Amino acid sequence: MTINKLNEGEQLVVQLSGRLDTAAAAEIAPEFQALAEQAAKHIILDCAQLEYISSSGLRLFLALRKESAAKGGKLQVRAINADIRQVFMMTGFISLFEIL
Amino acid sequence: MVNDFVFLGFSLHAWITIVTVLTMFSVLLFTKLRSDLVFLGAIAILFVTGVLDAKEAFSGFSSTSVIVIGVLFVVVAGLMHTGVLQWIVKHLLGQPKSYTGAVTRLMLPVAALSSFLSNTTIVALFVGIVKMWSKKLGISPSKLLIPLSYASGMGGVCTLIGTPPNLIISGLYADHTGSAMNLLATTIPGLFCLAVGVLSIIAMRRLLPDRKAPEAAFEDTSDYTVELLVPSDNPYIGKRIVEAGLKDIRGGRLIEIIHFDEVLSPVPDDEPILGGDRLVFAGQIDEILDLKKTHGFVNADHHVFTMDEVSKDRQLRTAYIPYNSVLIHKILSQTTFEKDNNMTLVAVARQGKRLEQSPHEVKLHAGDTLLFECPPKLNINTDQLCSQLQFFDSEQVPNIGSKTLISTAIMIAMVVLSALNVIPLLQCAFLAAFAMLIFRCCNPDQAMKAINWEILMVFAGSVVLGLAIQKTGIAERLAYGILDVCGTNPIIVMTAICFVATFITEFISNTAAGAMFFPIMYEAATQLGYEPYPFLIALMISVSSSFATPIGSPTHMLVYAPGGYRFSDFLRIGLLMNFIILAANIFIVNVVYPLTPLN
Repeated sequence: MTINKLNEGEQLVVQLSGRLDTAAAAEIAPEFQALAEQAAKHIILDCAQLEYISSSGLRLFLALRKESAAKGGKLQVRAINADIRQVFMMTGFISLFEIL
Repeated sequence: MVNDFVFLGFSLHAWITIVTVLTMFSVLLFTKLRSDLVFLGAIAILFVTGVLDAKEAFSGFSSTSVIVIGVLFVVVAGLMHTGVLQWIVKHLLGQPKSYTGAVTRLMLPVAALSSFLSNTTIVALFVGIVKMWSKKLGISPSKLLIPLSYASGMGGVCTLIGTPPNLIISGLYADHTGSAMNLLATTIPGLFCLAVGVLSIIAMRRLLPDRKAPEAAFEDTSDYTVELLVPSDNPYIGKRIVEAGLKDIRGGRLIEIIHFDEVLSPVPDDEPILGGDRLVFAGQIDEILDLKKTHGFVNADHHVFTMDEVSKDRQLRTAYIPYNSVLIHKILSQTTFEKDNNMTLVAVARQGKRLEQSPHEVKLHAGDTLLFECPPKLNINTDQLCSQLQFFDSEQVPNIGSKTLISTAIMIAMVVLSALNVIPLLQCAFLAAFAMLIFRCCNPDQAMKAINWEILMVFAGSVVLGLAIQKTGIAERLAYGILDVCGTNPIIVMTAICFVATFITEFISNTAAGAMFFPIMYEAATQLGYEPYPFLIALMISVSSSFATPIGSPTHMLVYAPGGYRFSDFLRIGLLMNFIILAANIFIVNVVYPLTPLN
């Protein structure tokens, strides 16, 4: 699991790749905490290379969403694959997040 | 070559029979194969190996006693569908003031009804009523349901038509001697044993367990779990447990949360709720089910994506898993049961205690009590479900009317005409069944449905096995063996065979035991030079005296789950009952039918 941050103009693009399972979620939790400090910005979580997401991974997304809402920022999720879309559908995240 | 083979005094055919019978009973005891198929398989082996010829192998199917049993199913259907039995049940029990009074009020009418009707039908009818009655009297149902089952067994032996083994033994006696037994041949010994049985139950009532009714586990306000599902469009998705107000709910608590990929227990306060989560609560059922209204959760039977799928007009019902249920050893969520029947399992109790496990992960056992949320009563086809579940409140009471009187008159006429030897029993039974149909006490569909083909096949198979045991000389050898051990005192021989029969019948069907012990008892009596009649009367009572295990009789199985019993409950009081009834049986048979030497 790797995480890569890019600035595209005003937007902060966070590229996630690999499998975001329970272990990986614990590993990248500090990165998400760091992101939370920048939650006032427009953040795009780019999932084009993300293969799988666990409930722990969803928890990270959720925490960032709350932080973003609290700080008046904007959070979008981009390019999720069919499996992850299915998880988003089932968990109701499809209507919590703006999906690009 | 085949005829020359002898080992331990038994021929090859005798050994084939012995091995077949032992294998058959092992299969019946240790597997869940249909008993009629097992019996048919045994007959096939005996036929193919040449132990029995074609006529003998299929003689069970033309046996008069087996046909009588089949026809009586139709007569009983007429009584059931016109409400006679239900009316009797309702008006007999009354409001006794003591346990002694209650046991007497229960056992005597049950025995009286069982002496003319199928024991299983009578017990099935009484179970629900006795449970309600016991609540009213403040007596635990476990104190009354074993006596109910025992009474039906003891009542059954009071007439030849009361229980199949009596018909089988009397039929075989008629085949051997050419003279038929009277319908009431067993009445006096049977009544004496019944009186001894009732007094024994009263005297030994402390040996009966004092157990809560199994469904009482669901009446306890804090003793069950409910599993609810979060639909994918639920407004609480993304909120933490505390924020959603699920940390402290009225009447219960959240004990487990099952996400799509992990299970959390205990549940952290800051855990977010995801769509598709299954939330397991422990507590007061109605309060927890309120969360469906307040929070939009739904029953966790299948994943629900929208609230439109949730029906409103539903109610809670309790049911138990009968001994022969196809759901035994299954996990309900892995079957299509809930979907097929539009019911949702919300809790499971075993032996009066709610199981901690999530109900959808429980491997079901015989006797488990299940709490369902399901459609209103009228929409459930309890007949269709009876192979899977027995509902505690599934009693159906037909209207009492003119047909009630007609069916009663038909039944009484049948008993009187055959008891007075005006018309033979088989013809009487056919006439009665015909009359039930003509007077529309039951319709042809109900009549055909009432005939239990599986039981009939077992009875027919039992007759054939008895024949093989006799034909191959096993009965004769065993009879000689018993005479060698017990000497030539006829009462000791009678007691010894009855003793063995009483205990064998705990593990095999009463009818099979009757068919198999008939030739042994008959040979033993003949070898001793005595008329076999009293020996066979004693045998009839013995093979129906299976009190010590729940598998000893189908009626025990019927009360096992509703009484919340354990296997050992039957053993504790039943072993003593076996000995008491055996002693009473030998005593009264010898008083009523003194032994007479053969001419």
